[in-house]
Amino acid sequence: MTDAVVSIEGLSIDYVVGAGRFRAVSDVTLEVPRGHVVGIVGETGCGKSTLAQAIPRLLPEPPATIGGGRIVFEGIDLVKVPLWKMPQIRGTGINMIFQEPLNSLNPAFRIYDQVAEAVHIRHVREGGRGNVVRSESGPFDYSRRADPKASDAWAGKVVPGGGAQDAVRRKEVERHSGFTHEDLRKEVLDYLRLVRINDPETILDLYPHELSGGMRQRIMIAMALSEKPSLLIADEPTSALDVTIQAQVLTLMKELIEEVNTSILFISHDLGVIAETADELGVMYAGKLVEFGPVAEVFASPRHPYTKVLLRAAPTRYKSDGPLLSIPGNVPNLNRPPPGCRFHPRCPIARPVCKVEPGPPLLGVAGASATHTSACHFAAEVPQIP
Amino acid sequence: MSTPPLVEAVDLEKHFPLTRSATDVFKGKARRVIHAVDGVTVSVMPGETVGLIGESGSGKTTLGWVIARLHEPTGGTLRFDGADVLGLRGTALRKWRKNVQVVFQDPVGSLDPRLKVWQIVGEPLRAQGELTKPQVRERVHELLPTVGLPPDCLDQYPHEFSGGGRQRLSLARALSVDPRLVVLDEPTSALDVAVQAQILNRLVELQRQRGFAYLLITHNVAAVRYVADRVAVMYLGRIVEVGSVRGVLEKPIHPYTKALLAAVPVADASRRRTRFRIGGDVPSLVDPPPGCRFAARCPFVIDRCKVEYPALREIAAAPGQLVACHRAEEVIDIAPATLLTTEGAAPAAAPA
Repeated sequence: MTDAVVSIEGLSIDYVVGAGRFRAVSDVTLEVPRGHVVGIVGETGCGKSTLAQAIPRLLPEPPATIGGGRIVFEGIDLVKVPLWKMPQIRGTGINMIFQEPLNSLNPAFRIYDQVAEAVHIRHVREGGRGNVVRSESGPFDYSRRADPKASDAWAGKVVPGGGAQDAVRRKEVERHSGFTHEDLRKEVLDYLRLVRINDPETILDLYPHELSGGMRQRIMIAMALSEKPSLLIADEPTSALDVTIQAQVLTLMKELIEEVNTSILFISHDLGVIAETADELGVMYAGKLVEFGPVAEVFASPRHPYTKVLLRAAPTRYKSDGPLLSIPGNVPNLNRPPPGCRFHPRCPIARPVCKVEPGPPLLGVAGASATHTSACHFAAEVPQIP
Repeated sequence: MSTPPLVEAVDLEKHFPLTRSATDVFKGKARRVIHAVDGVTVSVMPGETVGLIGESGSGKTTLGWVIARLHEPTGGTLRFDGADVLGLRGTALRKWRKNVQVVFQDPVGSLDPRLKVWQIVGEPLRAQGELTKPQVRERVHELLPTVGLPPDCLDQYPHEFSGGGRQRLSLARALSVDPRLVVLDEPTSALDVAVQAQILNRLVELQRQRGFAYLLITHNVAAVRYVADRVAVMYLGRIVEVGSVRGVLEKPIHPYTKALLAAVPVADASRRRTRFRIGGDVPSLVDPPPGCRFAARCPFVIDRCKVEYPALREIAAAPGQLVACHRAEEVIDIAPATLLTTEGAAPAAAPA
């Protein structure tokens, strides 16, 4: 077995709504190898965000319930960890960047206080003073973490700024971490420089609403990295941004991926964004993982009919070239998923067997590399789809 | 040009004043103004699709609203079918409104959740006041299949539809009065790729059948490529480049157009190693900088760009394509891809 940061085995997640119950994620098996970026793509409602939020157990339970399976993170099965202990794993263990950067920052606190809180939590845990969840092999081994190079020259200018509320909060931070305000400030500045923020001294004393969307998302990335998480989950981190700003943030993320060497689960509906960032790619459809493999290979020769038609649907032609290829039909209703393979009503190569027999588990494909798997009975025929 | 344009906007301007604080009024400070649309000249021919691309805050939605007279412009002229539109008032204005209809950006927010499908789609018909209720229902019944919805959903509510279904309802509402221009404001940005392709196909097909013109407002280059005949690129309230869709998207001249095209992520795994080289944020529309508005982020900037705003002009190397750049002749041959660097490779040098 490879060294995986998180391995998800047969995970199913149900939502109980009124008398009904539907399965948003069914039987997903997935591994994020250490130091790799794994991308997940799929349409709205395919369960990709549910999957992302289930890993740090951020789903509201109820209505969500974990219907089965395991989420093994650093040797700990997160499904068995009681919810009240999860905050000890979130942050330094698993960290998350959300789609909407304004909603994920607290509007009432300055940037400094929010980033400093993240830095302080890491210091407390590294110093062994916080509560840490232990696995069978002992407590969390912090030495295995890659170290961000947040070490450029810094100018430790101290700006007292902030109201009474901020002052109380800072005192509290000092008391818990054993760090002075000045030390924390220097470290926070380092992280803001790491995410290429110009003039970080000024930015520190601003409130989130005073920053642009791209800046806020960079602050979120700085906060996430400052906790040095083993696993970073990025759920549509650039979807709310404009194209040129998205390109800037993606460029930054690509540079940080190489510098920081962290493991990332990258969720997006945009095939282009995934192509630019991921090492491995998983494709989800109606709650199931239908294909998984190295990103270049999945794009060059997809082995599941859904991936094939999804790639084709991206509009790349002019009006005079003829109509766009779309996928006929609609995404199935998860209350009443179709029998057999969930994609068969829209599949160009469906056969009678697909209507009765559910799609097979992810299987290796002949003629593809060993890690490339597909959940199609006729994976070998997919390259022949026109 | 033989046929007169359907819509002709000249130097159209929309400024939104900001509220001054009491202190500012007392000190006699000037009122600050958001220059949302700042001297835009654009025309739409009958039956043509003009794509308007730009990022959020570039003023493209405001321009669309001004053309549909949902905003009163603060300057410039607007003619529809040769006749002035800005002077219309009261009944004349209401009668004119059936010529231009808008499909709004947000498919959830633009449909009243308490109205049934026939009421929503038939609302413009009722506002025009020419039909009785049963006639409206009948008209809506005929209209729904043209946008790809079942005709028997007249008495359903909007929440019963998916995102794509709601966008079709919005489209049916706009088409109900047989408009001559449909302003499409981000019609597909809330939709998934597969559904987006369905809607775009439908838009093109409807235009072929009925011959109306579209003004397609979007940040999605792929949608513009497929639907538009001509493209106008907006940045900070001004048009920086206009031309045929193939011309602008295949041989962009303005550095901003190049940056925009280079920034679009492509489903090609070999792009993993590329880095986007344009830094900086979109500047504020309140008191924008003098000179070219892209100067602060432009890799080809010279001193002249910072003081003098370049006028839209045609250059010899690209007839039919208008561009607002002082250095258009020098930068025309620089490919958008040079605004990306590949890991390890030296960044392409700007021309001297």
